Amino acid sequence: MTSLISARDRLEQAAGLAAVLDAAYDAFESMRLAFRVHEDPASSLFAAFVMAAASAADGRDAVAFAPSMPPRRHHGAAGTGPGPPGGDSSERFADEAARLSQLLGAWLARAAGSASDPGDRGACERAARCACEICDLLGGAGP
Amino acid sequence: VTVGRAVFGDFLDATRGHLGSPAVLRRAASRGGDVQEISHSLLRVVIVMGRYVQDVSTAPGQATPVTAAWGRAGRDARSGLTSAALLLHGDIPARRNPDRPAGSELARRLDAVALSLATGRDLLQTHVAQDPDGARELRSEWWPVVNSPPVTRALLTEMALLARDIAPLGPWVAFPAGTGGSPETRRRLNAASLRHRLTAACEWLQFLGDSVRAAHQQEPVSAADLELLRAIPASRLPARELPDGSEPVTGLSDGVITAAERARHAAWASAKVPPGSPAVTVSSWRRVAAASTLTGHHCAILLRSLADRTQDGGPGELTAGLLQAADAAGRASARWLLVAHALDDVTTDTQGQRSEAAAGASDLALWTGRLAYADPQWTLTSGPRHEVRPPRSLAPEPGDVPLAVAAVHHACDAMTRLAYADRDQVKAAAAADRILVAVTAPLDIWDAPFPYGPTLRGQSDAMVALYDYAGDASTQATASVADAAIAVRAPSRVLAAASAATGARHERRPEPTLDVATAPSAAGQPGDRPGPIEDSLHKLGVTSPDLLRRGADIDRAGERLIIQAAAGHEPRDRQPRAATPIRSAGSASRVSDDPYATESPQREAEP
Repeated sequence: MTSLISARDRLEQAAGLAAVLDAAYDAFESMRLAFRVHEDPASSLFAAFVMAAASAADGRDAVAFAPSMPPRRHHGAAGTGPGPPGGDSSERFADEAARLSQLLGAWLARAAGSASDPGDRGACERAARCACEICDLLGGAGP
Repeated sequence: VTVGRAVFGDFLDATRGHLGSPAVLRRAASRGGDVQEISHSLLRVVIVMGRYVQDVSTAPGQATPVTAAWGRAGRDARSGLTSAALLLHGDIPARRNPDRPAGSELARRLDAVALSLATGRDLLQTHVAQDPDGARELRSEWWPVVNSPPVTRALLTEMALLARDIAPLGPWVAFPAGTGGSPETRRRLNAASLRHRLTAACEWLQFLGDSVRAAHQQEPVSAADLELLRAIPASRLPARELPDGSEPVTGLSDGVITAAERARHAAWASAKVPPGSPAVTVSSWRRVAAASTLTGHHCAILLRSLADRTQDGGPGELTAGLLQAADAAGRASARWLLVAHALDDVTTDTQGQRSEAAAGASDLALWTGRLAYADPQWTLTSGPRHEVRPPRSLAPEPGDVPLAVAAVHHACDAMTRLAYADRDQVKAAAAADRILVAVTAPLDIWDAPFPYGPTLRGQSDAMVALYDYAGDASTQATASVADAAIAVRAPSRVLAAASAATGARHERRPEPTLDVATAPSAAGQPGDRPGPIEDSLHKLGVTSPDLLRRGADIDRAGERLIIQAAAGHEPRDRQPRAATPIRSAGSASRVSDDPYATESPQREAEP
């Protein structure tokens, strides 16, 4: 959960396209790792987490290849991992991930609107769609 | 086996219905009619039968020849039908207007038979087409079945049964009631007469029937083969449908079957996509892997529910077999999840596009989920607290069990085909340098323009191996459900016959050693790309063979560790249970069924 909160903070503080892309990459990767930790066949959120992890990986890849994506540096947010699932219930985690994906979708949609490079625009649009999918899968309202 | 699709058996039934039982046919012959008109109608039938026989002996892509006895029967059938057609054609001065109904009942029946047969043949031919250059192009995954030796034998048998029923028409028409075929009547029939030709043509039909019967006595056609022929559907797929929440449980089972058919076809069609196509994307593979994880999970739930349902008064072997199948489906789900995890760490040089296979797999996950859970509005996005459908809701009556088993059987079969289709696509994409892997170097030290680098051979081999394990587990699940399908005589049992007919093989590897890195093909071969450690040594200008070998050893050890760790995550609580395999009395008896020994009920029905 901490990694999601940290990813959200980074996203909210991101200024400029490159920073948004960088923060979006970490947000997608944080969510993907956390979905993988929480996916458990015995959980009733299993289906949502398995599908959401695929969307998170797609979103991460979309921003990774954006022309304005800065060279990758180790930020710690995604790299430290989501931690063990025991501390948070799946439901609470799903709510937090839904909020983050909603925010992510909104920022990426905005970035797509302002990007001058068609490559950046396309990447942001694809990534925004992935964020929307995650939000939908987790029962969020969407951006 | 199919929902809302015409199958070949529909046209065989129509053919038999139009012809009628021997008694009906004899009555029709006794009512008389113009002999020339009857001969012409029979010629139509013989021509279509000849085309069928021609099709099975000159079909494209015929991999396995039929055996000597059946090869001889096929040749006899061709020559018999050719001779019959020549005899019937000889004295017919002009073609009859096809729109004008025949005057006699017998000719009308024969015309209807010819039309049904021709339409049935058209159905089989929908699985192959001609491209603009005249080359034949396969259009569906059913063509290998249409073209398989068991279906060839079944088709010859059906033609022989038809020929045997029609053959008595010769004397019935040539020697109408009262004449009895007396010597005097026979003398009046000279060699050129129409009646003589009709009789001789019918003798050729009898010859066809006898030849096929001889082949059958030598190498019997099983009832399962005949059933498989009848189950071949038209190549046109049913339209995509999504559940709206109002479906009864039988409608949900039908929906699963339709979704599985579409996914199976999409998996087959994906082999035609060139590996360099931008439509080949990791996004599609991820969807398929995620959705198939869920489909396997749902199938495990459904099979446990069915086991619970059959526990009450059903045979114990069936319940045990369903539980065994549930475990197998659970293992398939777990292995698909490993594939999904592995796909997190790779990407393709194009992204975003999602294939038909991805859409089909997602639909299948949705439909199986609707069937597995009690909530009629269940979706992949449903939140927590949804209940599994109670066993009595899944199959309210014992007679509802076969359809539910058929739905799960179709789902598992589609899941299997998706595994091997994506495995082959991943393999081809790797060979075309389309796959990139996440760079695992310490990013706080190196800046990289993209967090991905070219894939190494060992890495792509490891991915292919994970697909193989998912495919193996899905195959085992399908086989376990097939046993249950045969035991309860579910309509899907022809899927097993279809696989057997085509000798479906997926070049499965032996059960995993999971030591891909040490396999002879995985390392040390000329042309292998070096791993990251060995590569770094090269870049540092190191040429010492010993140092390079040690670097390569470290790379391989790393790959092995990853694969072993991935396999170690597989099942949580999914160890196979000891269970008695189902042995179906029904299946055993069907093999010995003799199509010549009994008449099917349809044969006695009057149209």
